[in-house]
Amino acid sequence: MTHAPVRATIVGAGGLGGPIALSLGAAGIELTIFDHDLVELSNLHRQIQFTAVDLGHPKATRLAGLVVSRGGKARGVVAKWRTPSELDGELAEYVAESDLIVDGSDDPETKFAVAGWAVANGRQYVIAAALRYGGNVMAGVPGVACYRCLFEEPADVPSCAEAGVLGPVVGAIGGAAAAIALGIVRGQRGLAGALLAFDDLRSVAEPRILKFAPRPGCPACMRAPISPLATPLRIAEGEPS
Amino acid sequence: MPSIRVPSALRTFTGGNADVETTATTVRDAIADLDRRHPGIAARILDGSGAVKPFIRLFVGADEIGSLAGLDTQLTDRDEMSIVPAIAGGSDRA
Repeated sequence: MTHAPVRATIVGAGGLGGPIALSLGAAGIELTIFDHDLVELSNLHRQIQFTAVDLGHPKATRLAGLVVSRGGKARGVVAKWRTPSELDGELAEYVAESDLIVDGSDDPETKFAVAGWAVANGRQYVIAAALRYGGNVMAGVPGVACYRCLFEEPADVPSCAEAGVLGPVVGAIGGAAAAIALGIVRGQRGLAGALLAFDDLRSVAEPRILKFAPRPGCPACMRAPISPLATPLRIAEGEPS
Repeated sequence: MPSIRVPSALRTFTGGNADVETTATTVRDAIADLDRRHPGIAARILDGSGAVKPFIRLFVGADEIGSLAGLDTQLTDRDEMSIVPAIAGGSDRA
């Protein structure tokens, strides 16, 4: 029996988006990859999906091309958004059919916008972030506490470009995000609504699993569909082990 | 004695230390104790009214203090309190 293909959108084609896209693409998930940046020389130490031949090209289309070259299905969208509301509109335009949305962006407002869009549209989502030597991953599914239940509003926090990140850290966090995303689409929701915190991957590889409850008055949850519990998605035959 | 897990973004206050022990018996007192020894760190965690900032979350063990007793959550000798800020990061921009 063959299931309908799972479609996923990845926001951010950089250090996190690279391993997420390659992993999900190799697992047979059809991808739409959003980013509005071009590949720069300063990216290459941590965005190892790119090489010198990619310099100056859009990250989204180059990463999508790499996924396709490895047998996957992907399209890159050179996004235009500059504000969360613009992102909301672009997501609605391009990814209405996505079952899952994964954020690997580098700014907190985008993470809030992605999580908000996913909650409002009853989609499953994963938010990944990395900084310095660690990072965190949160998986959300309809009906559980959301990203905005945890962090109430975007903070003025430093980005990788400002605070730095150890190159392999984004690969590790991106890999963890991809694994959790695959778990979610297979109906494994044990980590949904929890935050996986990787403190310092130089010394401790195991994350702490931190739990939190839905927050009364959460503005994202108030936009959620009334009957939010979705049927677990199934990926195509030949599921990854 | 309870310990406080300090995120990398705040370790400049603790001389790079990730774990700080405390004799405090509540989360609120633990932050005050932390600030006595590492001045300025409390202002990164709490706002002017003494509430936890909206992009910071505090956990005791695996549980967020909002589901416990908030800043009055009791700490026991074996508890680990974690300070977890929202972070971005992954590409230069996305």
